[in-house]
Amino acid sequence: MSNLDWAVLICTLLAIVVYGVYKSRGAQNIQGYLLGNQSMPWYSVCLSVMATQASAITFLSAPGLAYSTGMSFVQFYFGLPLAMIVLCITFVPIFHRLKVYTAYEYLEQRFDLNTRALTALLFLIQRGLSTGITIYAPSIILSTILNINTTYTTIFIGGLVIFYTVYGGTKAVSYTQMLQMTIIFCGLFAAGIVVVHLLPSGVGLGKAISIAGKMGRTNAIDFKFDWNNQYTVWSGLIGGFFLQLSYFGTDQSQVGRYLTGSSVGQSRMGLLMNGLVKIPMQFLILLIGVLVFAFYQYNRPPVFFNSFELNKLQNSSYQPELKQIEAEYADIFKKKQHELQQLETALDQKDQTRVDQQRIVLKEADEQAKSIRKKATDLMLKNDPKADINDNNYIFLSFVTKYLPKGLIGLLIAIIFLASMGSTASALNSLASTSVIDIYKRLINKQATDPQYLNASRWATILWGGVCILMALYASKIGNLIEAVNILGSYIYGTILGVFLVAFYLKKVDGKAVFVAAILTEIAVCVCGYYKVVAYLWLNVIGCLLVVVLSLLLQQILKPVQHKKGQP
Amino acid sequence: MKDLKKDPELPPFVKSWQQFYRLLILWLGVLILLFYLFTKYFE
Repeated sequence: MSNLDWAVLICTLLAIVVYGVYKSRGAQNIQGYLLGNQSMPWYSVCLSVMATQASAITFLSAPGLAYSTGMSFVQFYFGLPLAMIVLCITFVPIFHRLKVYTAYEYLEQRFDLNTRALTALLFLIQRGLSTGITIYAPSIILSTILNINTTYTTIFIGGLVIFYTVYGGTKAVSYTQMLQMTIIFCGLFAAGIVVVHLLPSGVGLGKAISIAGKMGRTNAIDFKFDWNNQYTVWSGLIGGFFLQLSYFGTDQSQVGRYLTGSSVGQSRMGLLMNGLVKIPMQFLILLIGVLVFAFYQYNRPPVFFNSFELNKLQNSSYQPELKQIEAEYADIFKKKQHELQQLETALDQKDQTRVDQQRIVLKEADEQAKSIRKKATDLMLKNDPKADINDNNYIFLSFVTKYLPKGLIGLLIAIIFLASMGSTASALNSLASTSVIDIYKRLINKQATDPQYLNASRWATILWGGVCILMALYASKIGNLIEAVNILGSYIYGTILGVFLVAFYLKKVDGKAVFVAAILTEIAVCVCGYYKVVAYLWLNVIGCLLVVVLSLLLQQILKPVQHKKGQP
Repeated sequence: MKDLKKDPELPPFVKSWQQFYRLLILWLGVLILLFYLFTKYFE
């Protein structure tokens, strides 16, 4: 990185942190710290929920995913607008009316303390683990730039986020997220323009997408119904709907965001605008990945994008074997370039037969390149069995640092930092609020004063920050980060959503039935997930429906028992 | 749905929240159609 990039990076980060600290200055109470005094306008709610969901993972993994497997991931978000509508009709008015701090508070009013504690606990486990992954993602950036192990960078980033969150509270999180999302939109727009500009002369946006399309990277839609396909229109609409509804309706990191809205209308508007812009935004991020793929058809990519692991291998006794692999990789790249020129000519001449032939030839060459890469990763494992052989998250980053102009590199890296800070701050804030409001205040210390609860919230944030850093240190062993977060969520969200749907719509079901149903469902979902019975998005549907069905059945079974107990 | 009628705040450009919801569903349909055309055109 150049001095200019460092200056842009540091100034952007400092400006955001100073802004957050400035906005959250002054004495706070627990209501202000956890709910921001419910004073936020709709655009703040919208940007805040977007920033919470769009973590650094979004900007690191998604373009990498498009580069490796195409754009099918966009279908994952198809259920989001529908989920926003259900939220606005059901969840938002209820939460506002009951003036709850957390979503789980409502469950005690509707069912009992056990159900509240169970759902709060499931949330704490899920969010605690996934926030670790959220912290790990940006630590990759510093690791690549400074060429040091991710352990040190994870601790550094995690420490920075903890400081910011403990001091700021929810109000600072919302204000900084507004600024962060504005910078993110501008930066991504600039990155998209620069990628197109970097393509060889004669290759414009249309041709670049066309070439990527011929190599299977523009597969945005798949209408085939397949239980085991992760991303289809149906898994996105149905599975995605349940996942997004669970995430936004029952995950405190999101509930906490729209509860800051100054009224039901402002919270609704924020969520609906999120439903309006989220899918196009995700499409454009994936499109950047596709353009990076097209760029690397004209510029030889490294045999492995994680420079830290590659350097480790270069400095080992396996260096001669690596050189041999790199030479093979260079040869296949030359062959690919030749075939690519043929494809370009066929495209220009609109010769469909030749286009189809070249497509097959290029796909074969692509497979050969993949097998050479496999040789390199095998060698890495031979050299170090603990080596991280998944470089998906490094693809976009490697491109940014190597090819983007000075200044823009610093801005894009700042964007990834900001995105991570925003979502991690929301997560830590929600972990603290659930720990304090649902566990500490309800089960451990019911009589404490407001300043004591505020103090407990700050300590809970520090504690959860520490836990998340520990989790982050293990995140490097997990493949694609964005998928890992979603898979983890799918194990738990369906069950929690089922509990909330029973609470809202099945008035005859009581706490005991739903509590037992939730535990049985969670066991069933874990078994289905472990044995990969279906693609992970469907676990949300299974979990949710199972809770509803089991609750109804158990209510029928337990009811006579309770009646008998009441008899003399 | 009773709650919606009580809410004094209405969304901009449309007359009710229900209209906004319908607009959002329509938008989703348009996006899926556009992505389908994108996939078919470039594959």
